[in-house]
Amino acid sequence: MCLLKVENLKKSYKEATGRLKVLNGINLEVKSRETVVITGESGSGKSTLLHLLGMLDSPDEGRIFYSGNEIKINDKKVNEFRNKKIGFVFQFHYLLGDFTAEENVAMPMFLFTKNLKRSISEARKLLKSLDIYTRKDHYPNQLSGGEQQRVAVARALINSPEIIFADEPTGNLDAHHSEELINLIMYLNNDKKQTFVIVTHNREIAEKMNRHLHLEEGILKEI
Amino acid sequence: MNKVVGYFLKKYFFSTKKEWLRFDSIFMVVGIIISVATLTVSLSIFEGYEKVLKKTILGVNSHIYIFNPGEGNLTEENVQQLSAFCEDQPEIESYAAIIVTQAMCTNENRVKGCLIRGIDWKQKNLPTSYKKNVSEGKHELQNLDDAVIGYKLAKNLNLTIGDTLTLLSPLNSQITPLGMKQQKLDFIIVGLYRSGMYEYDSKYVFLNYQAAAEFISAKNEYSMMEIKLSDENIERADYLAYRWSSELDHKFQITSWIDFNGNLFSLLKLEKWVIFIILSFLILIASFNVVSSVSTSIIEKKQELGILKAFGASSKILKNIFIGKTFFISIFAITAGQILGVLIAVFLSKQTFFLLKGDVYFLEKINVSFNFLSWMIILIVSLLLISGASVVPLKKITKLEVTEILRS
Repeated sequence: MCLLKVENLKKSYKEATGRLKVLNGINLEVKSRETVVITGESGSGKSTLLHLLGMLDSPDEGRIFYSGNEIKINDKKVNEFRNKKIGFVFQFHYLLGDFTAEENVAMPMFLFTKNLKRSISEARKLLKSLDIYTRKDHYPNQLSGGEQQRVAVARALINSPEIIFADEPTGNLDAHHSEELINLIMYLNNDKKQTFVIVTHNREIAEKMNRHLHLEEGILKEI
Repeated sequence: MNKVVGYFLKKYFFSTKKEWLRFDSIFMVVGIIISVATLTVSLSIFEGYEKVLKKTILGVNSHIYIFNPGEGNLTEENVQQLSAFCEDQPEIESYAAIIVTQAMCTNENRVKGCLIRGIDWKQKNLPTSYKKNVSEGKHELQNLDDAVIGYKLAKNLNLTIGDTLTLLSPLNSQITPLGMKQQKLDFIIVGLYRSGMYEYDSKYVFLNYQAAAEFISAKNEYSMMEIKLSDENIERADYLAYRWSSELDHKFQITSWIDFNGNLFSLLKLEKWVIFIILSFLILIASFNVVSSVSTSIIEKKQELGILKAFGASSKILKNIFIGKTFFISIFAITAGQILGVLIAVFLSKQTFFLLKGDVYFLEKINVSFNFLSWMIILIVSLLLISGASVVPLKKITKLEVTEILRS
């Protein structure tokens, strides 16, 4: 089943000398339970594409469909859609410094359900399944890089999203923690049937995913 | 309140990090406290001054005065007619016919102008607070040559209780073969009068009615009828004066305290609110610190705001978190400012090293009064100004681009 479909997506940025074209007509289909990796040189537009797919930015042209329905960033309920259907994992974990690990994980659920007790309970379950429960009361600055990224993954999973976008998830981790994170992604895909779209330079990740796409000169090519 | 906003506010105020103790927050709070305290002190002094002045004026004087419309005095017959009329009026608490005249008083080579009030001191319920204001000596004017005088007047003439006061009246001069002979009578001071109002304490001489009548050579005549109204009718004095004037067929000239002092109190009220408006600018200036503090906080929290937006938090929720923070800090700061203002005002009213110039301000002591309505007005105006200031930098939240934050 086609979960995400993108038609002729274009994006450019204004520069002093004119407009810099970053995406020149991206067409993409991602099926449910698929793991897709997107590689490309630095500045090729990988993160831009991920932001457009995650409804964090608006394209100049093109359309984005989720489960057959077109979604636009200026839709009234786009915040709710992003919260419930999409999960994000970033290179820098971007955990909230004033909140504990479990509060960080619970946050996306709490923002919409407004039920703190239930959100914390779900967060604890996730932390247990990701083997980081003992660190639930720690603040981000009390966690290692690997632990921080695991918490970030748990946060992305809390609302059981249909798809998780990960932007260089291992970019800030050492080899050991990178491997741990890759294994976690594989586990979530195999056991929990979670769909992933991952932007990375990491070849190891690229090799382990279902599909490998390469972004060059604003065009996405299947490898 | 939205549960998410409430949760963030709880974290902000009760977390171990004590974020609200940041330098810019403290600076903001101190600014609000000082400006609100200044405003509270000023208003309480103005209200105290107005209240005490009114109380003193209405205590020393009566509320309605009835004169003979011509230049002559009230006759015994007039007084009897007016007394009968007053007995029928439920608004009247007490009344008395008195003599009022101007004179000069001397002691050795000192001369001062004074205002003589000839009263029936034996009357139980006088329409003025004469008895209450005799601070030294006695109020009884047992003998015809007994007098009670204002303590300032006594001081100016270097007189005290037991001394002899000489009163002179150029109005009642007599032509004699030796030239003009002024009316001159000596009195023994039996008490000193202290109303708290310079104007009265430096002018008044209270005499027995008979002595005053003899002094102005007008036996069985009265200058006016003084009337004291019940408390709930004091503000209606001008209306009652108008009504009674009609009921008495305009035979008498009836005036009220409002005719004499209404402009003074209107001016005081106007001044109070002008001062309030001017001092509200202090709060406006303090609210610039609010703009600065909220802006700094938004810039510092930019990344976290961006990430919350990415996870679906609307700009409205994020704005409400900042509005909530500023609101509670403002409530604390305004309340603290009002409490500090009250403490300063109470201190000013108790201290004795700085006194007002009585001849300029009528009263010497700084009086303060606290009014719930004024407190509420200060609270609401301060909250409006500070909330308005806190909203200005919140536009930044709407403009926050998540993608830019994630890239940076």
